Amino acid sequence: MRIVLFLLATLFMGSAFSQQKYSISGYVRDTNSGESIHSAVIYNVEANVQSTTNNYGFYSLGLMSGLQSIKVSAAGMQSKEFQILLLSDTAIDFFMSPTEKTIGIATVRGKKSENVKNIDISTQTITSQTIKQIPAFLGEADVIKSVQLLPGVSSVGEGASGFNVRGGGIDQNLVLMDEAPVFNSAHLFGFFSIFNPDAVKDVQLVKGGIPANYGGRLSSTLDVRMKDGNNKKYEANGGIGTIFSRATIEGPIVKNKASFLLAGRRSYIDVLAKPFLNSDLKGSQFYFYDFTGKVNYRRKRDNFYISTYIGDDAFSAQNAFGVKWGNTTATARWNHVFNKKLFSNFTYFYSRYRYNIEFNSKDADFNWQSYIVNNSAKADFNWYASSKHEILFGAQSTYYTFKPGKAVVNNNNGTTDFSLPDKFGLENAVYIAEEFNPSGKFSYRLGLRVSNFMYLGKGNAYYYKPAVETGDRRFIDYVKYYNQNEVIANYTNLEPRFGFKYQMGQQSSVKGGYNRMVQNLHLISNTAASVPFDVWQPSTNNILPEKADQYTLGYFKNWGKGDDFESSFEVYYKDLKNQVDYVDGANLLLNEYLEGDLLTGKGRAFGAEWYIRKVTGKLTGWISYTLSKSERLVNGINDNRWYPNRFDRKHNLYIIANYKLNEKFSFSGNFVVSSGTPTTFYAGQYNIQGYTVPDAGSNARNNVRNPIYHRLDLSVTYTVKKRKRWESNWVLSCYNVYNRRNPFSIYFATNYQNTGNNAAIRYSVIGSFIPALSYNFKWN
Amino acid sequence: MKIKNIIYLLFIAILGSSCEDVIDVDVDQGPEKLIVDAFVNNLPDKQVIRITKSIPYFAKPGSEPGVEGATVAIVDTTGGNTKLFLFADSGKGNYIFHPDASTGDTFTVGHNHILLVVQGGDTLVSLATMNKTALIDSLQIKYEDGSTIGFKKGNYVELRAKDLPGYGNTYWVKTFVNDTFKNGIFDINLAYDMTQTPNNQDGGEFIWPIKYGAINNFQEPKPTGTKIRVEIHSISVETFYYINQIFSENQNGGLFATPPINIGTNIFNFNSKKKRAVGGFFSISDVSRKVVVIP
Repeated sequence: MRIVLFLLATLFMGSAFSQQKYSISGYVRDTNSGESIHSAVIYNVEANVQSTTNNYGFYSLGLMSGLQSIKVSAAGMQSKEFQILLLSDTAIDFFMSPTEKTIGIATVRGKKSENVKNIDISTQTITSQTIKQIPAFLGEADVIKSVQLLPGVSSVGEGASGFNVRGGGIDQNLVLMDEAPVFNSAHLFGFFSIFNPDAVKDVQLVKGGIPANYGGRLSSTLDVRMKDGNNKKYEANGGIGTIFSRATIEGPIVKNKASFLLAGRRSYIDVLAKPFLNSDLKGSQFYFYDFTGKVNYRRKRDNFYISTYIGDDAFSAQNAFGVKWGNTTATARWNHVFNKKLFSNFTYFYSRYRYNIEFNSKDADFNWQSYIVNNSAKADFNWYASSKHEILFGAQSTYYTFKPGKAVVNNNNGTTDFSLPDKFGLENAVYIAEEFNPSGKFSYRLGLRVSNFMYLGKGNAYYYKPAVETGDRRFIDYVKYYNQNEVIANYTNLEPRFGFKYQMGQQSSVKGGYNRMVQNLHLISNTAASVPFDVWQPSTNNILPEKADQYTLGYFKNWGKGDDFESSFEVYYKDLKNQVDYVDGANLLLNEYLEGDLLTGKGRAFGAEWYIRKVTGKLTGWISYTLSKSERLVNGINDNRWYPNRFDRKHNLYIIANYKLNEKFSFSGNFVVSSGTPTTFYAGQYNIQGYTVPDAGSNARNNVRNPIYHRLDLSVTYTVKKRKRWESNWVLSCYNVYNRRNPFSIYFATNYQNTGNNAAIRYSVIGSFIPALSYNFKWN
Repeated sequence: MKIKNIIYLLFIAILGSSCEDVIDVDVDQGPEKLIVDAFVNNLPDKQVIRITKSIPYFAKPGSEPGVEGATVAIVDTTGGNTKLFLFADSGKGNYIFHPDASTGDTFTVGHNHILLVVQGGDTLVSLATMNKTALIDSLQIKYEDGSTIGFKKGNYVELRAKDLPGYGNTYWVKTFVNDTFKNGIFDINLAYDMTQTPNNQDGGEFIWPIKYGAINNFQEPKPTGTKIRVEIHSISVETFYYINQIFSENQNGGLFATPPINIGTNIFNFNSKKKRAVGGFFSISDVSRKVVVIP
């Protein structure tokens, strides 16, 4: 498509032809919904320069005056070409149409050659459409499950919350929802993630070469961008599934200016299961829900966004006990364009993760609460210094409140309070980064983030004696009280970041990256699977900030005339410091002297990732293979030798395919093969006073491998013929098609079921194939 | 960890599809350890010290081979009047000492005792003090009428005893039904002063779980004629934690298992050359006991 725009904004025609330098700037948006499009590329053919839209869809590109050709391309969008007669600095918004407009099963067209041409390394974006194509557990498209199919990403198994990136722990991923971090991205122990796929625009995972504007976690950033809401017309999306249903409504408040989005989901497994619950479970409730609400308002130079998320999982039985956990976030953002070259965004967010456990009996009741809250303000600036230089800078300040545990028991003897005092922290960071994108072959990104964390009063700080023997519990030496906002511990760290690209022809490039990351929040967990009741701790006078240095290098190549195939090969090496581990028999919950039970060690992870993706045609999909190793060294564990991390998997092969037969039918499949994760077994046993004493021998850690994991999922989508404004489809899916009992874990059982024998038990969370049918609709 | 078990149940409840299978696993056995099981007391009964070797985790529990040919003795060194109690090798790793019926000479409350084991070039030594134990006032028969959930109608036994004054007294309460020791892992009944954990509650009657909960199985009322014997063994604080560790490691496992812990020992190998790894525990108890027969 060719559109010619004549921009006669100035009368000084003559000067235009003396090749003066001007700039164009503005937003790239979706024609149908008005949603901004990030990472769209605005390319000037004549000068061979380009600009990429930022997270808010804003771009600015310096051009020579006169007639200029502009190509605009973005993921899932039809590329467009424009002719512009440029006579002054000009604001232009570009509107793009999606490649295909069917729900759920669209053939997703990647940005042409973008993966080769941009400077981002170890970065993957998955659109909402791709997420919906992947056959999912119980037919429910899922953000985190999709992310787990990318190279370098793995999980401990079904039923494990979170995901592991390049040998990092689940707490080392910064998961952002509209810029607010969420601390537990899982519903139902990880079977579903908390993001409603109908409300998600896309997700971007950055595993390496992490830019300076992100910080606070060691391993990755998962940026989940929610839709803003259609500002042109009303639209509704939804689905009825086996386990839950969802609905999304969006539309204009003021056409083209303001819009809203409301999205909700609730599971009804408890409603369906009610007749089948036996006496013990009668009256039980288990459900989860989540709600996303957003409004935004646009003015010429300003955009305002307000968004909120509330989600909970709840389980209760007969009023005897109840547990509940969930996230709440609220974000307010203001984009302001100071001038053609300076874009700014100001954000305030609130994010809370909390859980609550209650027991009630005739004689006693017990109530336990824990949460982490953060309040944060940040400012980000993009300064388009020239067509080749872009400067990003900004600052962020976050105040944390930790409630490690408020626990109260009421019984006949009165009230006993086991509560731990709150903890407080303040994290400040400033960053600056330069991106140099010349028309030549070499481009780079250079950044520095300076982060500071202060562990603050009020409260007691604990000081411990050295351990009697390395690896033993440390006992308290003295306690010192600090007043409100008094600094107990203070850590400042420099976090350099670097990335480069060397272009080798139109279809291939070599990229590299280095980043140092610092993390001041630590998830305290030593169980085989993380549980929702694990507690977050700040860096303190005893817990040092975790640090990681990562080096990564990759070769990117596209194949075929229309860049039909994208491929990459990347290697990485990661060096981790101050990793948290635990003494034998550590007591992690409601323990005032928890820090005495923690050990510190170092880690390393390295690996290679192959990735090839077919982006065009009837058959699309990708193959990803990762060869990796992740291990740690902690004095006092495993005889002071390196041992593999709980989530270490040597081989990971993922094959994801979608075949679109015709307008009605499409088929999807994914196949996953992974090496088993390690687990720890006793080495021996002996008998004392008739009791079996399991013997950990030389304190070995993760000395046994779980069997290999493999699984095939299939799905077929039938698209019902569109009627007026109503579109719909049926998805029939089958998870674990060939009925494999994949081990989540193998574990030991001393005197297994009173047989008198010790046994190794394979626990499979999914022990059979799981079919599901869901119905999805869209009204617009 | 109770929370852990609840989560586990929750998990199973939600996912009908999950399943467990017993499988074979290859684990390298750690170094074979020499194990000394030395729990002795001042009752006028046969005292046994067992010396065995550790076996692989998946071997049949209880099949630990006995170690013969050792010299085993306990020496009371307190008060400059050294007393030697020799344990005779009676085969299969059992070493036996019978207190002298005529003199009643046995271990003394408040005295330090040294355990000595010489075997295969190794000299194993341990030290323990015999603390005074709490006296049993009485064993009461209690009738439950079945109106409380979880309690079957019938007779049960309650221990009436008070913790000794002063902090840090630890006890192991043992129950015998018709002279058979209730040795299930959930029958382990330990007391730290009045309660089950160190929390400064001192000198009073033992709390409900110790005096009643752990002595009975409320699904099995005691039939008429049943002979119930309860003994309170004084133990050291170290022994208290040692038994506690055995208890928790026997229950560790499952989906939310924590890494196995290395259960310690209070027995040291004095062989200066090539040391064999040792395990086990030396504990010496003062005992009070009472018997009741269910009417």
